[in-house]
Amino acid sequence: MSATIATATMTRGPALRSLGRSVALTIGHRAAIALYMLFALFPLFWLIKIAITPDRLLYTEGVRLWPSSMTLANFHFVLLQSDFPTFFANSVLVSLGTALAVTIVASGAGYAFSRFRFPGKYVVVFILLLTQMFPLVMLIAPMYRLMTPLGLTDNLLGLVTAYTAFNAPFATFLMQSFFDGIPKELEESAMIDGCTRFQALRRIIVPLTLPGMGATLGFVFTAAWSELLFALMLINSEEKMTFAVGLLTFVSKFSVDWGQMMAAGVLALIPACIFFAFIQRYLVQGLTAGALKG
Amino acid sequence: MRGSLARSALVVGALALAWPAQAQTTLQLVEVITSPQRTEVLRGMVDQFEAAHPGVTVEITSLPWGQAFEKLATMVQGGQIPDVVEMPDRWLSLYANNDQLVDLSPYMADWDEADQLTDRTVEFGSYVNNTPYMIPYGFYLRALFYNKKLFEQAGLDGPPETMDDFMAAAKAISELGGGKTGFCLRGGPGGTNGYIMMMANMMGHDDYFDEEGNSTLNSPDAIKGLQFMVDLYQNGYAPKDSVNWGFNEIVAGFYSGTCAMLDQDPDALIAIKERMPAEDFAVAPMPLGPAGKSFPTIGYAGWSMFTAAEDKDAAWDLIAHLSSRASNLEWSKFVGVIPIHKGAEQDPAFQGEQYAGWFTEMNDERWQPTAMPTYLEEFGYFADVMVVQSGQEALLGERTAEDVANEWAEYLTAAQQKWLSAQ
Amino acid sequence: MALRAVGATTDGRTVPGDARPGPGRFAEFALEPYLYLSPALILLALVMFVPLIVGLSYAFRDIQILNPFATGWVGLAHFEALLDDRIFYRALGNTLWWTGGSLILQFGLGLGLALLLNRPFGGRRLVQAVVFLPWAVPTFLTGLTWAWLFNPVIGPLPHWLAALGILADPHNILGDPAIAMWGPIVANVWFGVPFFAITLLAALQAIPSSLYEAAAIDGASAWQAFTKVTLPFLAPIIAITVLLRTIWISNFADLIVVMTNGGPANATQILPSYIFTTAYKKLDFGYASAIATALLALLLLYAVLLIHMRRALPDTR
Repeated sequence: MSATIATATMTRGPALRSLGRSVALTIGHRAAIALYMLFALFPLFWLIKIAITPDRLLYTEGVRLWPSSMTLANFHFVLLQSDFPTFFANSVLVSLGTALAVTIVASGAGYAFSRFRFPGKYVVVFILLLTQMFPLVMLIAPMYRLMTPLGLTDNLLGLVTAYTAFNAPFATFLMQSFFDGIPKELEESAMIDGCTRFQALRRIIVPLTLPGMGATLGFVFTAAWSELLFALMLINSEEKMTFAVGLLTFVSKFSVDWGQMMAAGVLALIPACIFFAFIQRYLVQGLTAGALKG
Repeated sequence: MRGSLARSALVVGALALAWPAQAQTTLQLVEVITSPQRTEVLRGMVDQFEAAHPGVTVEITSLPWGQAFEKLATMVQGGQIPDVVEMPDRWLSLYANNDQLVDLSPYMADWDEADQLTDRTVEFGSYVNNTPYMIPYGFYLRALFYNKKLFEQAGLDGPPETMDDFMAAAKAISELGGGKTGFCLRGGPGGTNGYIMMMANMMGHDDYFDEEGNSTLNSPDAIKGLQFMVDLYQNGYAPKDSVNWGFNEIVAGFYSGTCAMLDQDPDALIAIKERMPAEDFAVAPMPLGPAGKSFPTIGYAGWSMFTAAEDKDAAWDLIAHLSSRASNLEWSKFVGVIPIHKGAEQDPAFQGEQYAGWFTEMNDERWQPTAMPTYLEEFGYFADVMVVQSGQEALLGERTAEDVANEWAEYLTAAQQKWLSAQ
Repeated sequence: MALRAVGATTDGRTVPGDARPGPGRFAEFALEPYLYLSPALILLALVMFVPLIVGLSYAFRDIQILNPFATGWVGLAHFEALLDDRIFYRALGNTLWWTGGSLILQFGLGLGLALLLNRPFGGRRLVQAVVFLPWAVPTFLTGLTWAWLFNPVIGPLPHWLAALGILADPHNILGDPAIAMWGPIVANVWFGVPFFAITLLAALQAIPSSLYEAAAIDGASAWQAFTKVTLPFLAPIIAITVLLRTIWISNFADLIVVMTNGGPANATQILPSYIFTTAYKKLDFGYASAIATALLALLLLYAVLLIHMRRALPDTR
């Protein structure tokens, strides 16, 4: 885009005017980005601000941009005196488990959509979309009844199963687009050389879609990380709670422990951040590779 | 050798005989009005129980209050039914009428502390179908919290005694300006008690139904009560945002000094005491209506046993322990409810100025604590959804008070008549 | 990209059987894809589809969940009641407002942000990571934080809005039935922009720069380059993200329940929150399911329309 604009302006006025123009555009560009960053970060800044405000100043100094005195007591409480470390660990397990399971399941399904035309294809697509259209609150009761005799309630594995099922459709469409970006000829030539399709898939295609899988992992991990409804309904015992449900324990009938809840929320962002930063390089590259025509 | 072998055989044999007596029972106890501090106190009481009953372990599951109703309902319909549950008054009829709860009368007949319970305790424990489906652990009664500093500033020399005083006080404080208003109105979830109290006060009685089961909420005096609330809001004596305020907002409004009067139960005292200096507020009895009487709403919660419990005797032992005089006193002091045993309120903890409002209401005849018709299954929906939504429409002026009162009366009449025909 | 393979008829790459003729291959072609699909299908069938059918069946029955014996068949009674329910119509209107408002703003801002991020600049990696953060916050916490921000007692926004002249005086917009919906919409936009920004950015980066160079040589303006080169390339990914996001938003009640609880006076009540209240406060799962079925029908209609539109447009890839 910048090449286009630079070329276009170069052919018109004197070099100085075009230079001024591109400087103005650059400033505009950076300003727009800065504006958005402000919008994105402001609520998170507020979260941090509440987390470090001492309880007694919470309401009297509510509107100020920064409290008159700071405290780390909330963080201290969350990390050392509450069950949050357990909750975080559970969340990490569940999110990683879901991300892995979904990637495998969605890869298979996405590959099928990408490579084949088969009877019933559109029906399957509509079924996938259908599962996204019915409100989860209505599904919880029958799902709970289904899972109880199977022993999947109050069980992290049950939670992973439910999350995998819910996230699979989106991930499938995502993986399908990655597979679309890889020429069919690659596995066809491998098959002509004697491999089965599955071998070709495993040896040739999968390494090429690793970036795409990274992207799927990222979105699904985040979805599972912050999910609340299933975690609340399907898990009863405290040792198995995820951190999102743990946040709810700060809301009692009579008061909300805002400071502690926000401290927990801030701490919870850290693993999500780390995970996303880690796969971020793959994310953009991955979705890119998916669309590349070669 | 032989002797020692025989001796060990004897020991093993004795153990084998004694083993059934040590059979492990696990009880599931679910608490629904949860806070970390309450869970700790509960755990302490439960540990005492376990020490006195070897062989029984109790697992406590704590549900976050905001989602407790949905979560318990989901668990129950899915087959994961606990043994003992903390049962709020509003849920009692729903579970009892669906045959989920055990009738505790046979157990109470054998219980030595049963005659120590106050009449009110027995009455409310059997509120549904005259059968004791729960043992209450305490009562909450509405009283009027007021901000002494704001009252002084407005030149008022004490809390309002009548409804007219109340409206005048609210006006005086709202005229102070600076964003201060008179009444922390609860227009959002949980606001039903406020409306009912005003309506009952204006009616001068708390018979919510006549003999045929028709609701009295749309009688002219009751409508005046609803109009009273609407006027408070529309005249600006309550904050503009209060139309959607829930518990946290009204309490925050009170201790941040945004509004000067608050109708709440003793358990709000705990939250307010932590955030407001004691000299700045006090608690007075609710103002009297034109008939010289006042009807503060009374609520309660207690312990119930589910019919699906396997070891009902052990479950009863747990309930009896939690409801024993010593445990109940500790619990009620901690959570801020009026205890259930006769004479318990003589305890020094309840004698401060801040409890005075409630004790006046309980002992002076002009105040008649009123229980809302929670024995109706439909009452939960009525209180949590219908009153909130239509009440907001009235406050905002989208509908008249008469129209809203008619809607309420219609719904409750249908529910009451259905209940009457099932008796 | 995804939708192209689903709906397009012109993509020769996904038609099997071109290069390998022969009998007996049909069975293999029909079976093989299902083999790859099987883990997904089995999982979905068991965990989601069965509950879905059960959930849909509630719409035709009288279900009071605490009473396991009240399962009488009532046929279309719930739907008849639905047609007379004024709260349903209000919620329907609000849902359109909620979904439309959130989607247009999220998509517009997301696209704009993606275009901005498409140019390399110092610190771009950091910005990309920051952009993603709102998506990682649990929606419950997002709702609480924004409710906090909009509360004049403890948040700055009403005061800033009053200073800017948008509000007459600093009060809580969440308590004003005329504008209460904007609160959750703003929170939803904050939450949802990353989704569009990241997916559209990736699609943008796939567009070969040679196309832009060719356009420049032909004398195209920036706007023409955008409409003739960028948009057609983005069309497939736009279609699928908009479709999915619309479906998700119209089923997304978390922010509204936390921020306004559907009030005041149902001003922010949307279909999913109404379903939640009916199911879990009234414990009337039958009626709740009827509302959910109505919503489902609308969303299906929308999906069919969108896919149809996408297929009708010429494929310029």
